[in-house]
Amino acid sequence: MKRCNDGFAKFAALWTAGFGVFFAMTVAAQQTAPNPHADVLSIGGAVTEIVVALDQQHRLRARDTTSTYPEAVTNLPDVGYMRALSPEGVLSVGPELILSGEGAGPPEALEVIRAADVRFVEVPDAFDADGILRKIEVVADALDVPERGAQLAAEVGAELEAAMQRAERADGEKKRVLFVISTQGGKINASGTGTAADALIRMAGGVNAVSDYHGYKQITDEAVGLAAPDVILMMDRGGDHGVADDELFDMPAIRMTPAAQSRAVVRMDGLLMLGFGPRTAEAVTRLNEALYGEGA
Amino acid sequence: MLEARDIRVRYGPFEALRGVDLTARAGEVTAIVGPNGSGKSTLLGAITASLPHDGTVRLNGREVEGQKPWALAAQRAVLPQSSRLAFPFKVLEVVRLGLQSGTAGDRPEVPMQALARVGLAQYADRYFQDLSGGEAQRVMLARVLAQVWAPVEDGQPRWLLLDEPVASLDIAHQLQVMEIAREFARAGGGVVAVMHDLNLTALFADCVAVLSEGRLLAFGAPAEVMTDETLSLAYGCALRVSAPPPEGVPFILPHAALA
Amino acid sequence: MALIADSAAPPRDRLGRARALHGVLAGVLALCALASLQVGATDVTLTAMLGKLIGGEALSQMERVVLFDIRLPRLAMGVLVGAALAVSGAAMQGLFRNPLADPGIVGVGAGAGLGAILAIVLGALLPVWIINLVGNQLTPFAAFLGGWGSTILLYRVSTRHGRTSVATMLLAGIALGALAGALSGILVYIADDRQLRDLTFWGLGSLTGASWAKVFAAGPLIVLSIGAALVLGRGLNGLALGEATAAHIGIDVQRMKNVAILSVAGATGAAVAVSGGIGFVGIVVPHLLRLASGPDHRTLLLNSALLGASLLILADVIARVVIAPAELPIGIVTAVLGAPVFLWILLKRRGLVDL
Repeated sequence: MKRCNDGFAKFAALWTAGFGVFFAMTVAAQQTAPNPHADVLSIGGAVTEIVVALDQQHRLRARDTTSTYPEAVTNLPDVGYMRALSPEGVLSVGPELILSGEGAGPPEALEVIRAADVRFVEVPDAFDADGILRKIEVVADALDVPERGAQLAAEVGAELEAAMQRAERADGEKKRVLFVISTQGGKINASGTGTAADALIRMAGGVNAVSDYHGYKQITDEAVGLAAPDVILMMDRGGDHGVADDELFDMPAIRMTPAAQSRAVVRMDGLLMLGFGPRTAEAVTRLNEALYGEGA
Repeated sequence: MLEARDIRVRYGPFEALRGVDLTARAGEVTAIVGPNGSGKSTLLGAITASLPHDGTVRLNGREVEGQKPWALAAQRAVLPQSSRLAFPFKVLEVVRLGLQSGTAGDRPEVPMQALARVGLAQYADRYFQDLSGGEAQRVMLARVLAQVWAPVEDGQPRWLLLDEPVASLDIAHQLQVMEIAREFARAGGGVVAVMHDLNLTALFADCVAVLSEGRLLAFGAPAEVMTDETLSLAYGCALRVSAPPPEGVPFILPHAALA
Repeated sequence: MALIADSAAPPRDRLGRARALHGVLAGVLALCALASLQVGATDVTLTAMLGKLIGGEALSQMERVVLFDIRLPRLAMGVLVGAALAVSGAAMQGLFRNPLADPGIVGVGAGAGLGAILAIVLGALLPVWIINLVGNQLTPFAAFLGGWGSTILLYRVSTRHGRTSVATMLLAGIALGALAGALSGILVYIADDRQLRDLTFWGLGSLTGASWAKVFAAGPLIVLSIGAALVLGRGLNGLALGEATAAHIGIDVQRMKNVAILSVAGATGAAVAVSGGIGFVGIVVPHLLRLASGPDHRTLLLNSALLGASLLILADVIARVVIAPAELPIGIVTAVLGAPVFLWILLKRRGLVDL
């Protein structure tokens, strides 16, 4: 009895110490003091990009996990994933204005945040050029820089129009593109219609190879073959692309596609591709060039 | 008085008891004997109301059916054939479980006395599951004793219902346990025990019920019931009562220890 | 040597120790509660606020929101959920006579999970008046209905002629779990990306969504259920000897099963509904207490409530400060804290765990 209790005490002490170290390391990693003159918490990658594009980055006080561009914003405190915000965590960064993409939550957290007299502006999501301009307008109004907003909207609008015009081509020439969000466990999870990926593919002059369903789904090997994509589009997650490509084209589902024959895979940064923020024109051009070659 | 009338029990299509009557008197040890599968334990199960059955059982003049479990627990304690125990209870704590359900709940010294009675007082602080089979059986007996500590209370006898109480015990402890049962009966309580050992039955029982194939074959004092004829019929082999075995074969009977 | 000394000594009374533990654990709970009001992502502290109140100063809007709208409801919910999970665990272990049983066995987890998934994935398809009626609380509401409903279903399946077969319940629970898992799988298939993330977070559990509304919705049911479970002590002790013997020592076994199953379904269903899936509290807490003061359910149940509540509040404090201003799902913290302790118990005290 006695010996066991001693053992337990030792174990408990060791365990507490171990957890303490983990705790200290995590806390140290999070030690980024909020900028004292800033007043904005920006939630959503595209929203944060717009704030920066409006030259208002000095007003950013904190961000959410999806806000990773430009690089400099990653030094800001991170309030977590936008669907699972902690009300006290949000209040602790002391924002006067919260700019958030659609779908922040949970609802209870938002209620409490509103109760604390913090302004909360929801920026509507839409996967088209007008939607991007509308986002810029909403953010600029909330930040009280409407002129700068109009200017940015004009710039971005012109870029988008130019990019889409360049990308436009006749239906018969359009390449079929399969956006694969994950190949976890050998199963292909691909985008159907109604997603940011689907919109971008169309804007960049391609055709979504899958149009039978809405949203992201796991699809069978045979359905991939039937979709017959000319190009596979994926998010760039870093690492060795050579090895990743070999694995990708070795998957039974992919092996029978035209894309595998020409080893055509395009990898782009997820936020650039799917954010529908101020850089979407760039994304359209890059995808278009990747599909049809430069200057095409 | 414990009276069971026309007890019938079915397990599916199989009729385990086909109308058995049994009367046990307070102040006596009543043994139920019979071959395997004759319905001994089933009869005890019916008497303790733990098996669905037809027929009536009356305990101290009141029908058992319909009485609340706690009311029955105050009148009779039941020792099961085998006892597995979930969770690491200590020996004394197990005995206390019995005390709390009886009427001696206000006498905290009873569990230790009950343990002493079965010769295990020094084991009080041990974990129950560290005990040997025989020790565990005796602890359970102590628990049962603690439940009906006074053999007679308010002028009513209390009952010990024992299912093979000596099954896993060595010969000395078999005698000890049967002594405890007999003493309980002598003090005015009632004892009904399912027995395997015919010698111990002959030594300690005041009354013997012989079951065979779900029926009562014979009932009465050991000398009347335990005859060559009845036992041979019940057990299906030629048995001879009170005949020493042939020369040269050693035999050990508990009788010598009591002489 | 120690063993010999033990057996010669007069038997120590674990019941006394367990009763003394009531007081100790109540103190621990009070300390944990104070800590949870004191610490958080913001630098608002209870002590500073008390200072202000004593000095006659008014609290700022921020301080009022953090204390009354965030930390207090969260504390209340932590206490309720922790106590509910731990007591339910202890009661289920007693009922199934197995130290590894947890409320999942009676289908609460599978049912609640299915309910939550249904609400998250298909919630938008409901008629508008229902959505308006339950508002934000659709997921917790559906989780509760699912958990409670599946338990009652299991209970009905395993009860014949007024007798509940614990073995049937166990097997039927496995079947029901598989079915709920399959249905959940179908829903996961049609779920979109965002719904999938919601599901993941729901499964990890959190007190983030704590609100007074939830506390008042789940509180009465949890308190009632825990209250009912607390009186099961003597019955569960008897049940340790087996169902037949429990009846012989005066316990109304069937009534006890009714109370145990209904109270576990109520307490766990409500707890899971408001906090998602929080693991390990229900198993680790009763185990630690059995090691400390023995398996007597008359004290074990109340001690479990106290320790479960303390543990969950503590885990929540850790969850919200470790990566502040973001926070970890509390299920991760309880598992990170609980799993090694559990393994340690299994390794060290195998004799007491194997039964």
